[in-house]
Amino acid sequence: MTSTDTRGRPRRTALQRRSARLGWTFASPALLVVAAVMIFPIVFSVVMSLNKVAVSGNGFQLNGFTGSNYSVLFHAPRFWHDLEFTVLYTIFTVAIEMVLGTLVALVLERLTNARGWMMALLLMPWALITVVSAELWAYIYNGVYGVLDTVLGTVGVHNLNVLGTPLQASIAMAVADIWKTTPFVAIMVLAGLVMLPSEIVEAARVDGARAWTIFWKIRLPLLRPALAVAVLFRILQAFGLFDLPYVLTNGGPGTSTESLAVLGYKVLFNDLEFGPGAAVAAFTAVIVLVFCLLFLKVFRTQVGEQED
Amino acid sequence: MARRRTRNLGTNIAALVIAAFVALPLYWMVASSFKGQADITSSAAVPPHPTTSNYGNAFSNYGFGTYLMNSAVVAVTTTLIVLALGIFAGYALARLPMRGKTAIMTSLLMISLFPTIAVVAPLYLLLRDIGWLNSYQGLVLSYTALMLPFAIWILRNFFLTIPFAMEESARIDGAGPVRTVLSVILPQALPGVFTAGVFTFVAAWTEFIIALTLNNEDRYRTIAVGIALFGGQYTTPYGTIFAASAVAMLPIALLVLVFRRAVVSGLTAGAVKG
Repeated sequence: MTSTDTRGRPRRTALQRRSARLGWTFASPALLVVAAVMIFPIVFSVVMSLNKVAVSGNGFQLNGFTGSNYSVLFHAPRFWHDLEFTVLYTIFTVAIEMVLGTLVALVLERLTNARGWMMALLLMPWALITVVSAELWAYIYNGVYGVLDTVLGTVGVHNLNVLGTPLQASIAMAVADIWKTTPFVAIMVLAGLVMLPSEIVEAARVDGARAWTIFWKIRLPLLRPALAVAVLFRILQAFGLFDLPYVLTNGGPGTSTESLAVLGYKVLFNDLEFGPGAAVAAFTAVIVLVFCLLFLKVFRTQVGEQED
Repeated sequence: MARRRTRNLGTNIAALVIAAFVALPLYWMVASSFKGQADITSSAAVPPHPTTSNYGNAFSNYGFGTYLMNSAVVAVTTTLIVLALGIFAGYALARLPMRGKTAIMTSLLMISLFPTIAVVAPLYLLLRDIGWLNSYQGLVLSYTALMLPFAIWILRNFFLTIPFAMEESARIDGAGPVRTVLSVILPQALPGVFTAGVFTFVAAWTEFIIALTLNNEDRYRTIAVGIALFGGQYTTPYGTIFAASAVAMLPIALLVLVFRRAVVSGLTAGAVKG
C-alpha cells in the first residue's frame, strides 16, 4: 500500500516534486503569455459586455454594471438573423465538407503513384491567405465579367449575379469555403483511414462482403472517432467565420451573409459601440465555450494520457 | 485483373476531378495576374497579351513591398518566439510530473479553436493604452499568444513519443535540465519542431482580423490587410491583387512543399490519437 497525502493522492518523492517544479518553470512563460493575451481578453470581453463602456481619445473607461448591452442585442432582429445565419452556414458547410472530405480521402487512399503530388496540391488552398481566396472568388463571381457567368452561359444560364441575391450569395460563399477547407478534412480523414486495422477488412473481403458493405458496416464505424474530431474542429472554426464574408460579400447583400464575428467587428470598429460590440463577441465566446464543454469528453480523449 | 484495371481507372478519374476542382481557381488567380488592364475582364483561359505590369504596379503604386516586409518580420519573429516558449512548455507537459496536465492540455486545445473576435476588442483597447497599436511588437505579442496553444499541443505530442531512457542517460552524464531538452530531446523531436514552426508561420502569414484591427496605418499593414484594402471605392484592381497574391503565395507554397510531411502530420495530430 502506498502512502497518500491529505487529498488522497499518492505521496510524491523528493525527485518527483523537484521535477514538477522544473515543469512549472519550463511551462510558465508560455502559459503566462496565453493567460495574459488570450484568456484575460476573453474574460475582459465578458466584463466589458456587462458594463457601460466609454472610449475616448485618451483611453477607455468602464462606467458601472449594466444589462443594456445585451438587451440592445437581444432586441435587434439583425443579431438574431446573424446568429441564425452563422449556425445554419456552419451546419451546412461542415456537413458538405465532411461528406466530400471523406470521399476525397477514400480516393486518396486508393491512389498509389500520385498520392504525394495530390497531397501537395490539396495543401495549397489550406495555406492560402483567406483574404486572397475571398478576392479570387469575388472575381470569379463578378456579375459583369466573372468567369462563372461565362461558364454557366455555355449551358444556357445567364446573368446570375451570384453575389447580388441573399440565397445565392450564401451558397457562393459556402462553395468558396468548401473549396478551401475540404482538403483539410480529407487529410484528417485519410489519417484515420490509414490507421484502421486492415485484418478486419481483409477478413470481410474473404467472406465475400462487397466493397460498399465493407465501407458502411466496418470502416465507417471504426472511423467515427477521427470523424468526430474533424467535425468538432471544423464546427468551432466555422462558427468564428470572419475573413471570408468580410472580404467576399461584406455581409451583403444587406446583412444576409453577415456572420456573428462580422457583426461584432462592425459594431466595435465601424460604429465604435464597444459595449454592444463586446456583447456580440462575448456571446459568441460563450456559445463556443458551452459547445466545448458539451464535447469535453472528445477533447479529453484527444489529450489521452492519464494524470500522473 | 480486368476488374482491378477498371477500379484503378475509376480512382484516377476521380482524382483528376478533385485535382481540377482544387487547381482551377488557383490557375485562374495566377493567369489573371498576367492580364493587363484591357484583358482583366476577359474570360480567356490564357492571357491574350501576357504582361508583368501588375507585378510592377503592386510594388510601385500599392506599396506591396512594405506589406511583404511587415508580414515577414511579424511571421518570422512570432514563429521563433512561439518555438522558444513552446518547446519548453511542450516538454514539461509531456514529460514532467506536474499536476493538472490534462486540464491544461484540454484548455489549450479549446483555446486554439476559440473565435478570434472574442479577444479583438480588449486587445485593441489594452494595446492602445500602452501605445502598441501600429507596431510590430503588438502584433507579435498577440500572434504569439494566439498560436502558442496549438504549437504546444503539437510539440507535446511529439515529445510523448521519445523514449524516457534518453533523459536518464543525459542525467547520468551530468547534463542540466535545459541542456537535456536542447541537446538531447530536441534533436529527436525535430519533425515536431518543423510542424509547429510551419503551422505558426502559416497562421501568422494569413491572419487577418487582429492585423486589421491593431495595425491600420499603411506603414504597418500586413499582406492580408493590404490586399483586402487594395480595392478602391468604385473599382477593384484584380490584376494587381492577384499579382500580390501570387507573390504572397510563393513562400507558403515552397514551405508546404518542402515540409509536406510535417504539415500533414500536424493536420492529423488530432485524428491520429484517440
